[in-house]
Amino acid sequence: MKKAKIISAVVMSGLLSIATGHASSIKIGFNVPLTGFAAADGKSALNGAELAVEQANAAGGINGDSIVLVVYDDQASPKEAVPIAQKLIEKDEVVAAISGSYSGSTRAAAGIFQEAGVPYIAAYAVHPDITRAGNYVFRTSFVGEVQGRAGAKLMGETLGAKKVSVITLKNDFGKSLAAGLKQAASNYGITIVSEYEYGIKDRQFGPIVSKVKSDKPDAIYATGYFFTAGPLVSQLRAAGITVPIIGQEGYDSQKFIDIAGAAAEGTIITTSLNRDSASIETKNFIREFESKTGNKADMVAASAHTAVKVIVAAMRQSGSMDKAALRNAISATSVVAATGTISFNALGEVRKDVQVQIVKDGNWHEHSVISDSKLLAPPNE
Amino acid sequence: MLYLELFIQGLVQGSIYALIALGLTLVYGLLRILHVAHAALFTLGGYIGVIVTNATGSFTLAMVVAMLVVGLAGMLMYKLAYEPLLSQPPYVSLIASIALFIASEEIFRIAFGPYGLSYQTAPLQGHIELFSGFYLKYAEILVMGLSTILMIALAWLSMQTRTGVAWRATVTDPDMARAFGVKIQNVRYLNFFIGSSFAAAAGVLVALLNNLVEPTMGSVASYKALAIIVLGGLGSIRGTLIASLLLGVLESFGTIYIGHLLDRDAIAFAFLILVLMIRPQGLMGGKL
Repeated sequence: MKKAKIISAVVMSGLLSIATGHASSIKIGFNVPLTGFAAADGKSALNGAELAVEQANAAGGINGDSIVLVVYDDQASPKEAVPIAQKLIEKDEVVAAISGSYSGSTRAAAGIFQEAGVPYIAAYAVHPDITRAGNYVFRTSFVGEVQGRAGAKLMGETLGAKKVSVITLKNDFGKSLAAGLKQAASNYGITIVSEYEYGIKDRQFGPIVSKVKSDKPDAIYATGYFFTAGPLVSQLRAAGITVPIIGQEGYDSQKFIDIAGAAAEGTIITTSLNRDSASIETKNFIREFESKTGNKADMVAASAHTAVKVIVAAMRQSGSMDKAALRNAISATSVVAATGTISFNALGEVRKDVQVQIVKDGNWHEHSVISDSKLLAPPNE
Repeated sequence: MLYLELFIQGLVQGSIYALIALGLTLVYGLLRILHVAHAALFTLGGYIGVIVTNATGSFTLAMVVAMLVVGLAGMLMYKLAYEPLLSQPPYVSLIASIALFIASEEIFRIAFGPYGLSYQTAPLQGHIELFSGFYLKYAEILVMGLSTILMIALAWLSMQTRTGVAWRATVTDPDMARAFGVKIQNVRYLNFFIGSSFAAAAGVLVALLNNLVEPTMGSVASYKALAIIVLGGLGSIRGTLIASLLLGVLESFGTIYIGHLLDRDAIAFAFLILVLMIRPQGLMGGKL
């Protein structure tokens, strides 16, 4: 059992409040995988959230009170996430909380925050049931199905693919994306010629690559995270497969390009962060994130940054730390953040455009934007 | 054609399994310890391979350094973790081994970061076209070639040299071997050195196939290698080799044709259960 970890921000703010005699600070809970298989995404998400908190405090906090992030490592595991949620609510008495974690742990924690009446925002977890926990739970990124449907439009309409092979990561993330793709495929004239599944620990895809090659598809829709997609894409290309490979936000990391190397070129993904965005908010985020961490910005960092920003905006809006008022303010929010203009539907699902990015010369760049409000409508209940 | 490709992919995977599982079998044969932390040495090999290649540009040097350093690390692991526990029941060293393995994942993460490492310019990524449309990556050829060479070298060492005779004698009857003047301690060191350096070679090769080493890359290896040595008949080197290749090929076809029902790991363990029902001693094990 890993000891919970509270970041130095708490200590810092403690010292600060002693020094100034100013006692109040506002706590936002943050569960995030900092060890285990998802630690890389977790670290990035934490950096994004910390940046947002620093920026908010530099801009005066909430009526002069500073914000602190109370961070616990959930290892992306539901059984860790439940006690963490309870600790955040009862011991740390956070005003609101954010999940910088994957679907499994976020789903487990959502019910507990709902029951306690503490607003909870999933930064980038995709499982549809998360927001169904109740009216205190929100999500600032796409439900898996929505992004899967965007993938169908991208392949069928933009790329003109007719025959598609699907390679699915067998977890909440991969399955919900593939389900969305299949719902919308026929609307865009796509036939799914074959589908293969793999586990999150797989890195060697030789057999699947051989079979996909013999299927001769026009495009490949492969779900995964950068640490599975990097090896997968490089192995597909090494086998002489040249058709477009379509990924999603799980690829959205510079690390994907490091792993796949030259094979990454031309890979297209649906995601939340547009590197070539004209939005000042997004440009600032990318610049400040890179100068703070020395790493290139990615989707999880931008999403965690966005989630903090939504809560901070709602706190400023509601003017009090009453949780019900805060919930109402989040639900009515319309805030420009690094991942676009964020507003929520009745279920607490975000409404925003899907960003399509492509790898060019070793970096992610804008390919196109999908803004089809009907296709991208998140579930309402 | 597709079948041939799947078969080759199975052999590539099977070669990796063989390199990893061999060290486990050697340790079990000699000390009756289930050496779970062996997978940590596999990961260490991968990291050293990538780091040395990136620093020097020489993949060959990286392979040699990885095998030597990890071989020594294996000996050190024996000296520090297993030797003090030899008088305890076997489960004590098993627990120590699991603890070492879990700790190692976090040590790799703290030392080298959570994102893993990749080759800056991955070597051997090109391919040859054996015949129309049939590609074989250089890296895949190396995996099969190097595994074969290492196995032959091991066979030569154990069958043709005095050291090998002493080694086999110790496995068969340690007390008798000691009575004949074999230094048991040295045999154990040699055993850990060879097993660990083979795991290091596997780590470097896997890093080459995936262009990625991560703190958790040993997790599949840790339990699948155990399954393989049980499948082969605990302590049997020949059984381990056969089980590794068989499992590689079986997983390769299984992933495609029954992958929607059973995933890769499930196929491996279903096969293990099936074999144990028919031959409880494993493929090559002696009578129970």
